[in-house]
Amino acid sequence: MNQPILRLVLRFVVLMLGLWPLPGFALDHDNLDPNRPIGMEDAYAIPKGEIGMEGGVRFNDRREGRTRVTFQPQIIYGAFDNAQIEIQGDLMTEPNTLVGATKSGDLHLGLLYNFNTETLQLPAFAIRVETDLSTGVNSKGVDTQMTGILTRSFGRLRAHLNAGYTILGSPQGQERPGAYRAVAAVSYPLGYPDSFRDTLIASVYTRQSDQRGQRNNTGCEIGLRHQLTSRVVLDAGLGTEFYGPTDRAALLGTVGVSVGF
Amino acid sequence: MSDTWASRATFLLIAAMTLTLVACSQFEPRDKRFYYRALWNFSLREDLAELDSEFNGVDFGHSNLYENLLLTGGTDIPAIEDRARKETLAFIATRPRINPNEEAIAPTYMKLAWRAQNTFDEAHALHRATYDIVVSDELDKDRAIRNVLAYYQESAYAITAKRLDHHRLDQFPYSKTFRTRFPLFNATIWSYHYLQVAVYDPLQAAPDLAAKTRAVRPILTTYRGYLAQPPVAWTFMPLTAELSPAFAARYPEIANIFDNLHMLHDNISDILASEQLPTWDAKRTEIYRVLNAYYLASADATNPMIVKDQEHHH
Repeated sequence: MNQPILRLVLRFVVLMLGLWPLPGFALDHDNLDPNRPIGMEDAYAIPKGEIGMEGGVRFNDRREGRTRVTFQPQIIYGAFDNAQIEIQGDLMTEPNTLVGATKSGDLHLGLLYNFNTETLQLPAFAIRVETDLSTGVNSKGVDTQMTGILTRSFGRLRAHLNAGYTILGSPQGQERPGAYRAVAAVSYPLGYPDSFRDTLIASVYTRQSDQRGQRNNTGCEIGLRHQLTSRVVLDAGLGTEFYGPTDRAALLGTVGVSVGF
Repeated sequence: MSDTWASRATFLLIAAMTLTLVACSQFEPRDKRFYYRALWNFSLREDLAELDSEFNGVDFGHSNLYENLLLTGGTDIPAIEDRARKETLAFIATRPRINPNEEAIAPTYMKLAWRAQNTFDEAHALHRATYDIVVSDELDKDRAIRNVLAYYQESAYAITAKRLDHHRLDQFPYSKTFRTRFPLFNATIWSYHYLQVAVYDPLQAAPDLAAKTRAVRPILTTYRGYLAQPPVAWTFMPLTAELSPAFAARYPEIANIFDNLHMLHDNISDILASEQLPTWDAKRTEIYRVLNAYYLASADATNPMIVKDQEHHH
């Protein structure tokens, strides 16, 4: 990663540190949201009435092309029973070179609905519906995505499956009109029975490439969520893509913070 | 894989999930609700951490007990009285600064009886809110307490604010199984409940934070003494009106909710320990029957356990 980008990342981290409130209670490190810190989520919504502010910096050191940095500000709200709504607007470096559904500056709206909690017989199920409005750089059309999510625990280990499909409203050039994505992940609370502050997460994923005729981006990620105070969760993750197009990620990294109130 | 195939597969997966949920008798909503949001949130944690950390330990104790009762069949005395109880004491001794993740402590119990757990969670949030208000510099504490009570009672998981006949609730065929078989852990649980209700009057009476800190010290000393030597001579759980009479007189509905909550804890301990309910399914059915018929406020119109007069029977 070059020096200007590093400075930018450091400034963002310092800014987020400055925004931390006093200790309290809220966003649970055991409730997993996409990109906090890796690209998977569990089937549970935040509690009804809760407001969460999340933010992070993600870098993608590609095998070909320059390192791309993404800033991920997001607001989530437990608007209804077992449902959260999300507003997000990723900002990326080199916005003119992006292909695929996600463009820098797109306004992203999402709804996660959890059907049920896990019981002895049933996993927890949820559905996520998302739309990207074309407010970003070189963005056209409205993209939509639907994801099914399943969470099942085995003792303290939780397994998660995410399977989604994205439809581009107005694909450009060689962009695919639609692409699927599948993730298998596990999460595990570290420190039991003395500490309940950390959750380890690992995943493997595959997704169709952004452009037609290329191989699936396939990789793995590992991350940690740390409950700093009752209101604040820190996260960090690393990953790599071991199969896919020539510009696939050599190293993915994320640091972020979530604040609930 | 073609795009069309992938699209169809995704929608088929989602449709299958929906149908499975509708068809399954164990479908259960999660229904987590955020606490009442106010400036006094977490005053106890920030200003009286010594007491707050004890309550965090109490959270561990209940969940750890239920998980161990369930996994051991409720008959393994060393597993409960020695191992599980000492795990709880060890966690309490760490002076935890935040409340533990109870789903990590009792993953099996949470799957067995989530509805009961959510009922506990909301009542415990009411406990926490009242401590926060009493410790905070909120000017109108009385109004704040009544507001959190009203918020609590909006929930479908609210425990009745009516006084229940706890002695009748302690006469089911399986009642007293837990305290008879596991007297040390039962007395430890009752010690938690002692701490939870004994602090209200001293905290309310103390004029400032320094005085509140001093006021709870003797109670903490007594509580820690109970943990070291559980009060096995007690024959019934501590009651709010006996340990914080001023608080119970001013807020009888809240006192009733807390006493009913603690009685429900005892009922569930008995159910999990009893061989009369030999399967997990039987235990789940009985927990939900007791919860729905006798404890939730939604059953007030038909609840036969509600005491009609205002006399205390303990």
